Amino acid sequence: MAQNQGLLSSGWSRMAHNKRYIIWFYLLNVMLAWFGAGAFNNQVHSILDHSLRADYLLHGFHLVTLIEMFARPEFGPTMASAAPAMHFAFLFFLLTALFVPGVLQGYAATYRLPRDEFFRACGRNLWRFVRLLIMAAIVMGVVAGALFGLQGALQKKAAESTNELLRPEVRFAGLLVIFLIMTVLRIWFDLAQADVVLGDQPAVRKSIAVSFRHMRRNLGSLFGSYLVTTFVAAIVLVVGIFVWIKLVSPASLLGAVLVSQLTLLLLLIPRFWQRGIAVSYYLRDMVEPIPVVPFTPAPVAEPVVREPISPPVILVPPPEPLGS
Amino acid sequence: MKMRWMIVFLPVVTVVVISLAVKEHAARAASPQAAPAISAPHSASITPASVSAGALAIPDTTSAINSPTPMSQRVVHYQIDARYNATNHTVDATEVLTYHNLTGQMLDHFPFHLYQNAFQPKATWVREAKIVGSRDTTYEKWEDKEYGSEDIKSLEVVGQGDLTAQLQYIQPDDGNKDDKTVVDLRLAKPVPQGAYVQFKIAFQTKFPETEARSGWKRDFVLGGQWFPKVGVWWHGAWNCHQYHAMTEFFADFGVYDVKLTVPQFEVMGASGIKVSEVNNSDSTKTLTYHGDDIHDFAWTASPRYKVKEDGVYQGQMGPVSMRILMQPAHWSQVERHEKILRESLDHFERWYGPYPYKTITLVDPEPDSAAGGMEYPTFITGDSSWFMPKGAYLPEIVIEHEFGHQYWYGMVATNEFEDAWMDEGINSYTEVKVLDSILGKNTSVMNLAGATVGEREVQRGDYAPVADLDPIAQKAYDYYSGNSYGGITYGKTASVLLTLEGIIGEDTMAKAMHVYFMKYRFTHPEKEDFLKTIEQVSGKNLRWYFNQAVYGAPVMDYKVLKIESFPVNWYEEKKGSAHRDEKNTVYRSYVWLQRKEDFVMPVEVEIKFDNGEAVREHWDGASRWTKFTYEKKAKVESAEIDPDHKVQIDRDDFNNSYTDEPNAKPARKIENYWMFLSQWVAQALAWWAV
Repeated sequence: MAQNQGLLSSGWSRMAHNKRYIIWFYLLNVMLAWFGAGAFNNQVHSILDHSLRADYLLHGFHLVTLIEMFARPEFGPTMASAAPAMHFAFLFFLLTALFVPGVLQGYAATYRLPRDEFFRACGRNLWRFVRLLIMAAIVMGVVAGALFGLQGALQKKAAESTNELLRPEVRFAGLLVIFLIMTVLRIWFDLAQADVVLGDQPAVRKSIAVSFRHMRRNLGSLFGSYLVTTFVAAIVLVVGIFVWIKLVSPASLLGAVLVSQLTLLLLLIPRFWQRGIAVSYYLRDMVEPIPVVPFTPAPVAEPVVREPISPPVILVPPPEPLGS
Repeated sequence: MKMRWMIVFLPVVTVVVISLAVKEHAARAASPQAAPAISAPHSASITPASVSAGALAIPDTTSAINSPTPMSQRVVHYQIDARYNATNHTVDATEVLTYHNLTGQMLDHFPFHLYQNAFQPKATWVREAKIVGSRDTTYEKWEDKEYGSEDIKSLEVVGQGDLTAQLQYIQPDDGNKDDKTVVDLRLAKPVPQGAYVQFKIAFQTKFPETEARSGWKRDFVLGGQWFPKVGVWWHGAWNCHQYHAMTEFFADFGVYDVKLTVPQFEVMGASGIKVSEVNNSDSTKTLTYHGDDIHDFAWTASPRYKVKEDGVYQGQMGPVSMRILMQPAHWSQVERHEKILRESLDHFERWYGPYPYKTITLVDPEPDSAAGGMEYPTFITGDSSWFMPKGAYLPEIVIEHEFGHQYWYGMVATNEFEDAWMDEGINSYTEVKVLDSILGKNTSVMNLAGATVGEREVQRGDYAPVADLDPIAQKAYDYYSGNSYGGITYGKTASVLLTLEGIIGEDTMAKAMHVYFMKYRFTHPEKEDFLKTIEQVSGKNLRWYFNQAVYGAPVMDYKVLKIESFPVNWYEEKKGSAHRDEKNTVYRSYVWLQRKEDFVMPVEVEIKFDNGEAVREHWDGASRWTKFTYEKKAKVESAEIDPDHKVQIDRDDFNNSYTDEPNAKPARKIENYWMFLSQWVAQALAWWAV
């Protein structure tokens, strides 16, 4: 537990000393979402801005009005408007992958990492991260596929039971197990990322192997730390939505924007906290210790007497006879 | 002298009345709305059946109703003795059906519904369900558990012997020779008008895994449409349609005496009242039920029902016992079930008429079964789940709806094959009225976490996407799709009747509904009976509306096309003049309205000016567009068609109003939801993938 607390506080400290990364990622998140929402926003404004029916949406959350708006022919299929948002969400994922090496470098540094070092870390690790992400996608995809398949089979079996509650119990227990196992995989690849960046490891597979060993060896403390941070994220989301629904007046746009954006900003913290934990663990347990060699003064050696150095022989051609 | 005139006068009047009646009967029989042509007998040379009125009778029992006399014209008496095999999901039974020929003519053949034969791969029901969909299954792959059957092992007509060999499957609707949902029996001797005939049928029914609100799921079974049922003589012909994916049922009123033998561990519920329950030596028990003035009989069995049966509603005609069979995991919702059932009873009795039966059984059916949300006489199924937060009103909606069918189907027994809107649609309309009253107009479907949904919007929302596909007045199996059937039959009918309230007034409409129920309960009314009742009660000719809204499929979409205001003396304004005397400037304002589609409807329009003044205009909608012009010391601020929101059938409500100044706040609110959602998705993706 103490070790766990150590990781948590150390990870928090790294995250807290580098708050600017969270702010930058949040701004990136907002900016991309804003671009992605452009088409959607235009359509919504064209339908609602001059209609009195829109009041239903302003002074409450009138679901049918919302559905009717989506169903209008000029609004088009919902997917058409949703597609840009999804594209920009994917772009956020790619940019996160690009900038995470800089974040890890910054978390490991004992000083405020200059911008050029940040981007150098990003550039140096770009190709390594691409390979790492592909590996992670394969492992996580296979495991998640297998787990969801197993869960589906169990649910099918549970559906035969006359105990109605068995079905939701199996469903939720299955989802919980999947979440826990995926968290383990996340820890594994977070450590691999730290190893690749901080150990300047060009061979990604070596980082994956080393991280796996460490993850297995210290699963308890790492897993506990990751669970705590995920729990914090869940609390932030639930409290944020609760405040939004219960305390913000339906017609208060400013209040809704503030609460929703604050929730999203706070939601970034747990993930960066996890990265801080991964870096702390890496620096504490995964860096090879530099061998300490006891200092012994070197014996004063007697000058070695050698043959006297003869002056260099300069070959000078003989003077040519005058007047020849 | 007076007496002599009477002797001459009476026979003349009698002859005239009879001849007029015969003429009218013949005309109705020949009308295009008549039932499918299973033709009436016309050979008078056949010797009539020997069973006379004196030998048999339909009982005039009233033990299951709060009335000292029968309430319906009883045509049938079913006596069924059935044994349920819970392992094979089969019923082996004998049925004695006594039929009273009140058709006005001799009957030489009788069609019977064998509904459970619908669940066979080549049957019309499955064929249609595969194309237009059903709410239970898509039939992507046929599975044995989906098979159902209803086999007549033998059929004897009292006085005519065994006529099993005379049975012939017929397909009056689509000619599908593989469909066995209707079987016709030609008698050796026809049954004269006024006489009784008795059929003794031995049959076996095999239920499928629940389809169309009947069948088994796990150890639960709902026995609906499970026995051979005779067709209805209607408008001079037999009305006995095949079972279609989108159709329900139609039957005559009568008396039911049903014995059900089931394993002793089963908890039972059924139509009518329970007369007795006897344990047998073979670990089974036999329960006997009796029903008066009903036209169907359904039952259910499950070893796990938890029962609440102490509820009694004091109805206008007498006490009504409420029996509620709940799933164990839903037991915490039993009070909720009873409350809505009681409140529905109360509203229907006060608004439409008395509930005459002594019982109402509410079944909370097996989860994930296709048995939820179904009506049978004095027996309904609800729909719920282990997780049902208080603000989500699914159980309330379903229970109210199915209870409403006790009136619109149970007592006002319309033909569900041909006029589905008269039970489902009228019932959806009363559902809106009753639930609005109980749960609130804007919150009668959902009031959860700040999100609200009202019943009338849901009905309108069901209708709007299919508004241009089908009319209301159409056979249930002729709809373009399952969505169209649902959207038009339920949603459009409810919206049309809510709009009608705006035309004739809410009180008049309520009175018309009451008159309609009281006049046509325990009969089989048709479209015009309902529509004419509304016209009579309101004293208005509403053909212009019914022709469009009920018989046709035109779509209604009115729009405020444009509003514009400019100073009358605009030409006197100097270029670059910084200030205009707003208060004293006279503006000419225009408001253009458009009828975008072909439904013509007079509407109110409210025009608001920026000095706070509001003007109401009336537009008959006859032309495609119209224009209102004003000269005032004020500019038009907004125009709104149907400002009192009386019209429920306008497909697009957003274009019914226009404001001069845009108000971006509602759109920004939606933008904020969208932003939150897309940012959160992006963060979640990055969390797990990087």
